Amino acid sequence: MIDIAGILAENIIYIVMITLGGMLISWSVHFVPVGGAPAAMAQATGIGTGTVQLAAGAGLTGLVTAGAVMNVSDSVALVVASGAVGAMIMIAVTMIIGTWVYVYGVGVPPASAKVDYDPITKDRQDLYVSQGTEGHGLPTVSYVSGVIGGALGGIGGAIIYYSLMSTSTTLAHSDLISLASIFAVGIFFVNAVIPSYNIGGTIEGFHDPKFKKWPKAVVASFVATVMCAFVGVMAIGGL
Amino acid sequence: MSAGGAGGEATGGIPQNNLIAVGAAGGLIAAYAGHFLTQGIGPAFAFIGALGAICAIVWGAAAVRRVASYGLGTGVPSIGMMALGMGVVASLFGLAVGGIAGPIVAFVAAAIIGLVIGVLANKVLGMGIPIMEQSMTEIAGAGALTIIGLSVAMTGTFMFDAVLETVVATGYIAVIFIAGGMGILHPFNANLGPDEQQDRTLTTAVEKGAIAMIIAGIVATVATGASAIPSIVIGIVIWYVAFRKYVEFVNRDAYKVIGTGLLPTEEELE
Repeated sequence: MIDIAGILAENIIYIVMITLGGMLISWSVHFVPVGGAPAAMAQATGIGTGTVQLAAGAGLTGLVTAGAVMNVSDSVALVVASGAVGAMIMIAVTMIIGTWVYVYGVGVPPASAKVDYDPITKDRQDLYVSQGTEGHGLPTVSYVSGVIGGALGGIGGAIIYYSLMSTSTTLAHSDLISLASIFAVGIFFVNAVIPSYNIGGTIEGFHDPKFKKWPKAVVASFVATVMCAFVGVMAIGGL
Repeated sequence: MSAGGAGGEATGGIPQNNLIAVGAAGGLIAAYAGHFLTQGIGPAFAFIGALGAICAIVWGAAAVRRVASYGLGTGVPSIGMMALGMGVVASLFGLAVGGIAGPIVAFVAAAIIGLVIGVLANKVLGMGIPIMEQSMTEIAGAGALTIIGLSVAMTGTFMFDAVLETVVATGYIAVIFIAGGMGILHPFNANLGPDEQQDRTLTTAVEKGAIAMIIAGIVATVATGASAIPSIVIGIVIWYVAFRKYVEFVNRDAYKVIGTGLLPTEEELE
């Protein structure tokens, strides 16, 4: 049987870091403009797919970039920064292509129905919102919010991956990489779904009234991630 | 992104308790049977693990159907990805620390994680779905048993060293993740609506489970401990039977099925 207390004492810092990463992911999802099916039909603001798919895309890109940097450097700052940049690039590219599709393909101006004036550009929004819709496309504020969300999610994912990789273990390096990746992905999915239940599927960004609900999701993610971190560190540390 | 459904618990058909018994007992027994028969007799018996995964997938899909009928506010797929997210964490933990008790440890760990997340969803996030706690426990357990069952089919054992070497380190775990997740989330997502019927949804789950079984069989071609042909052949047979049954149910539940012919050609339109 494995020495639970010993592994815990040795790796307590990593359990704390994984939990922190999970909470960051949970918070980050609130920044990403998710529109779901209504946005796919240009009837709501945001990217036309669900939080989980977006979080998976951003998270996995962040994981890949963080993993690539971890091959050449042990610096936690570099790993976390590369994870953040990877996720930001993925989400920014998704949003710019989405905007082109909305503007040139669907033929709608990006406009938010949640605010009358864009908080960043101060452009008037309500004139451009089509009747019967909740806005459409990705206005500037949603775009900026999405990039911030990508950064936070990437940082969270990279912290989780770095902590799992740093857990003391006798595993071969290649096995450790695969195990840490799949644990990180599992924890990422759990923390992407919890906030999506909190916001009820769609959100425009940090100016959306639903954004104020984030503390609930972060608390829920804290509890859920502590458990996942415990089993993850136990599994890797016990080998 | 509305989840559809009537905004209440889905009813009808096989009682959920029977499905829990089939999924939990079937999944665990098949994991152990696959392991011991493969070790004792030969690698041809690895396919039994995938049969357990199909039981678990049907159970998971039934639980998703029940809870998603309330309307999750977000897509049905999210709950399936969550199932596999919880399942992969719990099952790798269970196999890593449990040894011969691995599947049971994994199942219990998954159930605990699922229960806590269910409680959080209702008490903290305020989702207000009365069966959320139970359903999350079921879905997480089904996710873990799906991963273990497919791992047994791929490697012939649930011993962690073999699973790590053949399934995790090679990246096939990602295939299990998506194929198993599809099996759990897709049936209700594909069939939801006012005419949703339990037998049709669960037949879709069997069909998706059979596809996962075929994929596990293909992966087993590169594994030493498992034999690929039984998994692939039995998987194809199950898929064919389930798909035929599914088409039958679609025809039964549809108001009318008629052939409209091909689109008219340009000449015919003139």
